[in-house]
Amino acid sequence: MTPGFLSQTFLISQFELKRLFNTRKGLLFLLTFSVVWYFILLYPIRFSADIFAQNQNSTQGSSFFEFIGFGALLNWKIPEFGVYWRFALLMFPILCITITADQTCSDRERGTLRFLYLRASRDSLFFGRFMGVMAIQMLLILITVFTSLLLVIFRDSNLLLSSLSSAVAISINLTLILLPFTAMMATLSACISSSRLATIWAILIWSFLAGIISSVSYYLPALEILKILIPGYQMTQLSELAEWQTFQLAYIPILQSMVLLGIGRWVMTRQSL
Amino acid sequence: MSTPIIQCNNLSHSYAGKIALDNISFELDSSEPVGLVGPNGAGKSTLLSILCGFIRPNSGSVSLFGQNPGVATLNTQVSALPQDARLDPSFTIGEQLHFFARLQGLNKQQGNSETARVLEAVGLKDLMKEKPATLSHGMAKRVSIAQALIGNPKLILLDEPTAGLDPINTRKIRNIIAELTPSTTFIISSHDLNELGRLCQKILLLENGKMSSTQLTTTDQDKPTQFFTLQMAACPAPEVIKELQQLVGVLQVSNPQKDEFIVEYNPIIESQIDIKILHCLIKNNWQYRQFSQGKTLEEKLFFDSTN
Repeated sequence: MTPGFLSQTFLISQFELKRLFNTRKGLLFLLTFSVVWYFILLYPIRFSADIFAQNQNSTQGSSFFEFIGFGALLNWKIPEFGVYWRFALLMFPILCITITADQTCSDRERGTLRFLYLRASRDSLFFGRFMGVMAIQMLLILITVFTSLLLVIFRDSNLLLSSLSSAVAISINLTLILLPFTAMMATLSACISSSRLATIWAILIWSFLAGIISSVSYYLPALEILKILIPGYQMTQLSELAEWQTFQLAYIPILQSMVLLGIGRWVMTRQSL
Repeated sequence: MSTPIIQCNNLSHSYAGKIALDNISFELDSSEPVGLVGPNGAGKSTLLSILCGFIRPNSGSVSLFGQNPGVATLNTQVSALPQDARLDPSFTIGEQLHFFARLQGLNKQQGNSETARVLEAVGLKDLMKEKPATLSHGMAKRVSIAQALIGNPKLILLDEPTAGLDPINTRKIRNIIAELTPSTTFIISSHDLNELGRLCQKILLLENGKMSSTQLTTTDQDKPTQFFTLQMAACPAPEVIKELQQLVGVLQVSNPQKDEFIVEYNPIIESQIDIKILHCLIKNNWQYRQFSQGKTLEEKLFFDSTN
């Protein structure tokens, strides 16, 4: 019996996870990511968090951080997570457009997609790959959040319960933030022949879209609303929010992802394999 | 009335203005292997890609077992060997074939045994744990054929299945096709006309995107005049023609290429012309390499003005 859409989608996303853990390339990526994250955690996050923790209750310290534009970090109960949040808002979207660029393009160029399409629908392939790379990114987020949590406990084990709340808020929110970036790369991957080109196109489209909309809305402020089309446009506002307040803007990436996935699916169904 | 296996109506497709398929229509309902031939760029791979659902035709309609290509219900019924498609280099052959089997609805255990079965069928069971990069061209082709056999589909479309294979493996593939016929229908696109002549009862000819109006069969039993093809060792062609033309029942002898002769005869006048031809060769001490009934497929498809 032919398996349904959901079971095929699940199988395809599961196979993507296998790509991370069962292939040399995937394991090499995990190793590199772990090493880079180790250094980020050990130096920028730990040192910055120490400084914030020392100055959190002093007026002089607060004024200084507000002066240099990092005042919002003081709203986090756990400084480590405040610093982590700032790093993650920058690091994960960049990582996302790199690691999710090859959702279908190299398989299409190689012809592997044809083997898969003989057994699974285009929708299953498109959404299966999307879910697979989202699962990988969620895993990376969880690893980084968990190690940050360990860092907090290492400093003060009494902070475990209060840091768990921050950890959960960050994990969910970061996953939501990455949704539109991943959906954008899924769409580009469906119509571009290589992952490198897809990344370049993503940067170009993102920059031009941001530039054009900003310029136009300068003269016609009513068009400011169009900024909602740019994945990650809410980042500046997000960096000013802390803890569960960050969910105030969660609707933006969700809406963007739905639109981008709709476009991507449309492209995928019409694309020659 | 049963649903035809394949039905194409007014199918057209072009690439950047260059016509690949030009309004072709045909219907297949036989379970015998069908050959698809034509010169390079005739549109064979485009036709197979449309049948598999890899590309959408610009116009016209196509159905397999009464359904549009690519619909979920066809996933277990139709399979293919796409031209030049390669497996993912990151995974082993066994992992990928097992994954394909799972996508077709087999469970883990069935997937494992099916993977072993299809690799065994193409003589590559030992390579289950190898990655595609370690395979030669011929081995990769056999693995691609193996994936097409997963789940015993009812229709398998093979694009150049024996290209690049050595004679032993070519025979192996031929045997697989023969074993699976008639439970599975094969559509085989190939330039190897000898191969198609052995495997297929029906040949479809595509030329410049158009399908030949006549669907040729490999036998000529129903025609008023028949042919023998004679491939000789080095011989004096004019003398051979002269001697053969003198035989009663022979209508015409042609010499399409070096040391090859096509003898057209009337079976009503002389039913045992083959024996007479052989006597003639012995009498003149001429050596022959091959003596076969009918014209070669190459001759029929590309050089025969009567078709």
